[in-house]
Amino acid sequence: MSDDGTPVLSLEDVEVHFEDKPGLLEFGDETEVVRAVDGVSIDVMENDVVTLVGESGCGKTTLGKTAIGLQRPTGGSVKYRGHDIWDIRDGNSDADITWRDVRTSLQIIHQDPGSSLNPNRRIQTILAEPLKQVRPDLGRTEKRERILSLLERVGMNPAPDFADRYPHQLSGGEQQRVALSRALLMNPDVILADEAISAVDVSLRVEMMDLMLELQAEFDTSFIFISHDLSNARYFTAHADGQIGVMYLGELAEIGPAEEIVNSPKHPYTNVLRWATPDLSLQQTGEIPMRKIDVPDPVDPPSGCRFHTRCPEAREACQTEHPPTYSDDRHHVACFRENEDHDYWESPKLTD
Amino acid sequence: MAIEEVDAGSELDERSIVDPAIEIRNAKVTYDEGESYVLDDVSIDLDRNEVLGVVGESGSGKSMFASSLLDSVPDPGVLTGRITYHPRDGEPIEVLDLSKEELRELRWEEISMVFQGAMSSFNPVLKVRTHFEETLEAHDANVAEGMDFARELLSDLYLDPDRVLDAYPHELSGGMTQRALIALSMVLNPEVLVMDEPTAALDLLMQRSILQLLEDLQAKYDISLVFITHDLPLIAALADRMAIMYAFRFVEVAPTQDLVANAAHPYTRMLLNSTPNLDAPLAEMKPIEGQSPAPINLPSGCAFHPRCPLAEEQCMQSEPDYHDVSDRQGARCFRWEAAQAQILLNYEDMLEDRGTSGGDADE
Ligand SMILES: Nc1ncnc2c1ncn2[C@@H]1O[C@H](COP(=O)(O)OP(=O)(O)OP(=O)(O)O)[C@@H](O)[C@H]1O
Ligand code: SF4
Ligand code: SF4
Ligand SMILES: [Mg+2]
Repeated sequence: MSDDGTPVLSLEDVEVHFEDKPGLLEFGDETEVVRAVDGVSIDVMENDVVTLVGESGCGKTTLGKTAIGLQRPTGGSVKYRGHDIWDIRDGNSDADITWRDVRTSLQIIHQDPGSSLNPNRRIQTILAEPLKQVRPDLGRTEKRERILSLLERVGMNPAPDFADRYPHQLSGGEQQRVALSRALLMNPDVILADEAISAVDVSLRVEMMDLMLELQAEFDTSFIFISHDLSNARYFTAHADGQIGVMYLGELAEIGPAEEIVNSPKHPYTNVLRWATPDLSLQQTGEIPMRKIDVPDPVDPPSGCRFHTRCPEAREACQTEHPPTYSDDRHHVACFRENEDHDYWESPKLTD
Repeated sequence: MAIEEVDAGSELDERSIVDPAIEIRNAKVTYDEGESYVLDDVSIDLDRNEVLGVVGESGSGKSMFASSLLDSVPDPGVLTGRITYHPRDGEPIEVLDLSKEELRELRWEEISMVFQGAMSSFNPVLKVRTHFEETLEAHDANVAEGMDFARELLSDLYLDPDRVLDAYPHELSGGMTQRALIALSMVLNPEVLVMDEPTAALDLLMQRSILQLLEDLQAKYDISLVFITHDLPLIAALADRMAIMYAFRFVEVAPTQDLVANAAHPYTRMLLNSTPNLDAPLAEMKPIEGQSPAPINLPSGCAFHPRCPLAEEQCMQSEPDYHDVSDRQGARCFRWEAAQAQILLNYEDMLEDRGTSGGDADE
């Protein structure tokens, strides 16, 4: 489709709250609300890469799934090429796009490829499935040819041999290639890759990312890439000239071009992630740059700036007021330290 | 031939390590009566109070090495060789000569382990406190004193002792569980702690935080630490020395600084280049083509030769011995000098700058 500057996906002020029924041993019958995602806005353009980083439980997966229509937001909107996907789903849209088109265009590959591939089906059959959906016109031989050439393309040679295997006869890296192939056969606009390389050995991750980058260019897809590892995020995102979004307890703390996030982080939390990322400079990394190691409960996130209970720069002002987003070109940061005139600078440091 | 080779390897340690906590000599593990080995003639010393990083790809034999230290390779594996534990005071102990009961005592009191996938080593129906108490009782330790020490360890690990002890395992996050398990493994004040991929299931920030805490614990309680991982950069800041495992053997052993600046084995150099990091130029990260071998079908000569850009005729014919790169660095490669000259490290510029430019981009 034409590149008229309309984002492929546009998330506006997205909120996802889950109701958590109280456990048997808990008192009262008030349901607890897990605030998985709050007030997030992100655009994904054609051939774009948007990477989400952050600790486990910070809402990366929920946000990713919401972006591709696998999770309905409890607030805000998700638009596919300018049309609200949940209006399409509910039949309230005048767009000539069906819910099926939306679902086909937005694909996912999971962290654990083994569990997403049917163990009783040969690779050939697993890959024929999506082709049947998007190209019902193809005959058997044509389908087989397509599948073989794609397997070759993702480095699984000899392809006929791999096509006849079952998932358990493949290594983790090979299973991930099959999952990627299956997603690509749908001809999607966006693929959500949720920790898709975390399960493979460190030494093979670059290879997998390179493959995804090459295919991105070839197949004209965008990626939403989720990782808890800033160096992988940088590698993948910078190669595609994309953006890295840093999530903390359901919110975007900072988002911007990959090299800027990595080389000149502005949010104190991004700095913490940088500290956590091993490098080979062997400098003593010293103390953990945070006041607490464990993430607070998302059921009851801290008031004001959600990071204030751990932030090394936190001051009293951070306890009460929620920081707005300060923007500088493509770089957006939610921290009072971006505003020279804020009361923050006058208020006493938090030390506990 | 085997004897010569091993001598070359352990000689390096014998010269440089004065007070080993554990000596491992010719350790071999087989599952098919010697047809093939999943740990192949490994010799190394663990220096007292050092942090030894053992790094290798999946299936390279890292876990076999870890379980060998306590003569606990999974059945029906057969371990041969010599493992000598040197208590701080007292006579050396030959681990492979111990009875089951003696081994049980050695474990936890002297050498303690945190295994791969250890999260599941807590019994879900027992409170965390019960795990500590049962461990203390099983080793005839004073429970009251032991629990005081447990509380101290938990606080050292940034945990609220009472909250954690009163919790069931599922009530703790992954990072908390892992830290509680580290405290449990240390509750009998062991001399040596062996950790096999203890943090792999956690996010990077938690992994890094735990490593930092381990560094503090190691200094506070004077333990020797073996840390096993596939992630070389992760432990570079923690390990004093690293041993790189490829195809069931150590192919290079060196102090971490030397290894990072002057790795001599082609595999080590390629491994260093294959891992993304924040400072290396983007274009130059290269995966290592091909796959590491299975124990059967081990390539002839140097097991790395099918993937090695420097391989020559002799590499296919004979197995390289350890070559001394320095007093404390050895590599099993005929061509380590060529490797240093020809396989450039993608962060070399950064190494040169080191010392002038400093740490974080912060402030
Ligand atoms: N019970 C067993 N019986 C036979 N072979 C085994 C057994 N357990 C492991 N192996 C083999 O021994 C070799 C070394 O395995 P080991 O578990 O030590 O590898 P590792 O380096 O720890 O790998 P990972 O990073 O995946 O944990 C592998 O080839 C493996 O398939
Ligand atoms: S607003 Fe305050 S607490 Fe939040 S990140 Fe900035 S300094 Fe830290
Ligand atoms: S001995 Fe030969 S094949 Fe083996 S690592 Fe050295 S150069 Fe490469
Ligand atoms: Mg293992």
